[in-house]
Amino acid sequence: MAMNLTRRNLLKTASLAAASVPLSKVVAKAETGIAKVPLIPPGSFKKTKTVTGGVCEMCFWRCQLVGKVRDNRLIKLEGNPKSIDNGLNLCARGNSGIKLVYDPDRLKYPMKNIGKRGAPKWKKISWEEALDTCAAKLQATIDKYGPKGIGVWYHGASAHYPTAYFEYLGVPNMYEPAFYQCRGQTAMAMMQTLGFVPNEDVDMANSKAMLLVGCHLGENIHLSHVKNFLKGLENGSKLVVVDPRFSASAAKAHIWVKIKPGTDTAFLLGLMNYMLGKGCYNKSFVDKHCLGLNKLKTHVAEWSIEKTAKECDIPGKQIVEVAELLCEHAPHVAVHPGRHAAWYGNDFQRVRANACLTALLGAIDCPGGIVQIKRMSTGHVHWPKVEHEEDPEDMALAEMEEKYPFRPPGTPPELMRETMVTGKPYPIKSMVIWGTNSIKTMPNQEETMKALANMDFIMVTDVSPTDITMWADILLPEACYLERYDHIEKGTQWNQSDKPQQFVAARMPLVEPMFERKDSVWMINELARRMGHEKDIPVKNQEEFVDHMLKEADLSIAKLRKLDGIYIQEGESPYLKKGDEPEFGTDSGKIELYSEAMDDEDFPPLPTYTRTEEPPKGYARMIYGRSPVHTFNRTANNAWLSREVPENPLWLNDESAKKMGIKDGDRVSLENQAGKRSAGSTVVKVTPGIRKDCVFIAHGFGTFNPAMTVGYNKGIDDNSLNTKINREGETGISGMRINFVRIIKNGKTINIPG
Amino acid sequence: MEMKGDSHKHKTVEPDESESLADIFAFLALLVRYPDISFFDNEFLDTLEILLTRLNLEKSCLKISIWRNSVEDPLLDAQLEYTRLFINAVPHVIAPPYASVYQDGDFSLQGKTTEKIRNFYRQHGFDVVVSTQPADHIQFELEFLSYIYRQGQFDVGDYFLSTFFVPWFEKFLQKISEELRHPLYRVSLQLITYFVKEEQ
Ligand code: SF4
Repeated sequence: MAMNLTRRNLLKTASLAAASVPLSKVVAKAETGIAKVPLIPPGSFKKTKTVTGGVCEMCFWRCQLVGKVRDNRLIKLEGNPKSIDNGLNLCARGNSGIKLVYDPDRLKYPMKNIGKRGAPKWKKISWEEALDTCAAKLQATIDKYGPKGIGVWYHGASAHYPTAYFEYLGVPNMYEPAFYQCRGQTAMAMMQTLGFVPNEDVDMANSKAMLLVGCHLGENIHLSHVKNFLKGLENGSKLVVVDPRFSASAAKAHIWVKIKPGTDTAFLLGLMNYMLGKGCYNKSFVDKHCLGLNKLKTHVAEWSIEKTAKECDIPGKQIVEVAELLCEHAPHVAVHPGRHAAWYGNDFQRVRANACLTALLGAIDCPGGIVQIKRMSTGHVHWPKVEHEEDPEDMALAEMEEKYPFRPPGTPPELMRETMVTGKPYPIKSMVIWGTNSIKTMPNQEETMKALANMDFIMVTDVSPTDITMWADILLPEACYLERYDHIEKGTQWNQSDKPQQFVAARMPLVEPMFERKDSVWMINELARRMGHEKDIPVKNQEEFVDHMLKEADLSIAKLRKLDGIYIQEGESPYLKKGDEPEFGTDSGKIELYSEAMDDEDFPPLPTYTRTEEPPKGYARMIYGRSPVHTFNRTANNAWLSREVPENPLWLNDESAKKMGIKDGDRVSLENQAGKRSAGSTVVKVTPGIRKDCVFIAHGFGTFNPAMTVGYNKGIDDNSLNTKINREGETGISGMRINFVRIIKNGKTINIPG
Repeated sequence: MEMKGDSHKHKTVEPDESESLADIFAFLALLVRYPDISFFDNEFLDTLEILLTRLNLEKSCLKISIWRNSVEDPLLDAQLEYTRLFINAVPHVIAPPYASVYQDGDFSLQGKTTEKIRNFYRQHGFDVVVSTQPADHIQFELEFLSYIYRQGQFDVGDYFLSTFFVPWFEKFLQKISEELRHPLYRVSLQLITYFVKEEQ
């Protein structure tokens, strides 16, 4: 740039004018962030290093990754070449983790809300002040109400250490939405039937047939799981997809059962009745390993093909076709156990039916079936056991109220929320919310807001300014998964028919956290110190935390680093060897088609179908699912992902749309049966690929915190329309597909023809 | 891109002027730094007022003095506004004060631009000392300029301004303009503009 004369003159004049201003005294007071350093030759930081040890958390699948880092700046993420799980692959979200790390909207400093809850005004404060306040407020709650006055909502690996601390304090009520309303329910029903929790360990790659009831793999992308699924298809496995919608999975199906929403249990009972009637189930397996066959047979007898077809609104011959296909390929049938099960408020029974069908096919611990994968084990970090005046186990709300005997570990969400509102049976007055945006997870958001308004104190820790952070009194910024140590991932090679191997990977930071972000071990130890528990602190820092857990496997961070982040050893096939018998951890040691335990608790001991309410005239059922490039609301503010999929189109049946005068691409919002309207709007996707009695929308959109500048108000928040609650007695979990909507276009309400 | 500024290196400038400009830029850096008790006191605000008067920016000076008298605690008031504008706020952070956010096309910290700017510092014998902050924060860029001017390297400073600073600063100003109601930050950014713009 040639020296600009005007500017030169200006500066000269200005500097002369300013010469007599006592600036130097003032500027000397604060230390600068820039300093003189020895001259660094150009190009010194050109070299890109590969940093190993990353474990992805853009979703919960935890793929192993490496980072390309230049000058302490993360430039690119890739699958860890050593991984026997995801290998070199990362999905779109995994790749976009970089955008989370450097998202300018992320929380950077501890903040104090000097405005109102829900309408905050933030003041940046020091960690000292933040932690002093949290310690004082939580202690005040304990002094007044006992530890039961505190409730905890949490999520993810970084919450393990904090929840261990709150357990040590004697806090009886904690809730993790990602487990409770997702895998938890499935896990408990499977446990009750099979005596083990299969999670999603289903050997699709080596199956001859697959049955997905409501699962939409391909929209729900968990890398090695999708590889497993695709390998199955590649190997010629016949796929049956039961879904009201032509999902990504349905698009690959040999048989798509376009089922009426809410009738899946009836469908499963109909299949079982057909198999039992025809005698085409896996007799030898059932005779040996199952209890209650005759009772089941009598119980399902009413589910004739005709009745099932009518109830599910599908052709009878399709039921026969599916039943015969599954029997023909038994036991090599992958009946997917499912993941998120909270659909209609009668879901425990559906998962039980699913487990019973799996048992009738004998599709367990064999190629293609549910398999009990053998992973290495690692340790835990505990705070010391201490006596409490009131035993936290007895004080847990569900225990006290003798409710929900088959609930997953933790307190049912709405039960805790009710107590927060009513103060009964005892007051809960302080909340610790760790990395979970629970305003988006519990149905009936108004109730959640009411409960939060009732607290004396709310501490929230998060990475981003999610919706729930607006309710914090003190808001703490956490290092994200690429900047901290926490989780230990254990697994095997992704395809169970390959040479058996086991691996352990620990999450290790790829870059240093920026600003004043901290890890959870540091935060909790500082809090514990202030609450007088210094002597009981079990680990000094996050590295020690991880080393402690690795010790059981004779590993350490140092060892893992030398191994490029992943330790691999010879494994064990999950398939039963000839002569081996499977083991079931039920009370009886057998698969319980008929469950005594359920009978004892006055629940149907055999999988039972209950009808769900029909949509009122003019409304369709709102069903929801996932967008393949998002993990619900967690990725809503990700610049790359949001550019790919900025909102959640509303799937509407083409014939209905025609009658309604709605065209593909029209912008609409929704109103539910209670008159509640969505804050945001979205586009319509007109398609023959969905039934007329429902509409579909991906969950996690419609962020309402404007601090999330990318995701703010994009699309519709389906959960804001979940005002109706239907809690099942087994677990205390509400179904979330029991609300109905109609469409608003240009301010006009339009009914959806049934 | 080789440093064009290098060729003009050490062009002599009167020492007084260089010291004075260095102080000005150091002062500007303070204006866009998170206000804390270490420097943000009455003396600091008095100095701001004097500077504005000397530069014949009386109207701005008046704005500052009215503001100081109208709030109970100017430090707290400035902190809240700083947080709202530059850190995390509701409705949302108005304008993150980092070059990469405006220059790299995808609204991100620690981008290519950050790297270039940091390398420029280093080539001239400086670096950010707090590694937890991106090098292209407005405060650091102004501090760097202050150091460079103190060394009398006017051309390097001018090169840095026109190549690195002004291009993003203009976009930043655009982004923040609608929300720039607070007298302190209105005046601060006006003052920075005064010293960095090529054409007045
Ligand atoms: S599936 Fe994608 S988002 Fe999930 S852990 Fe793997 S790479 Fe990350």
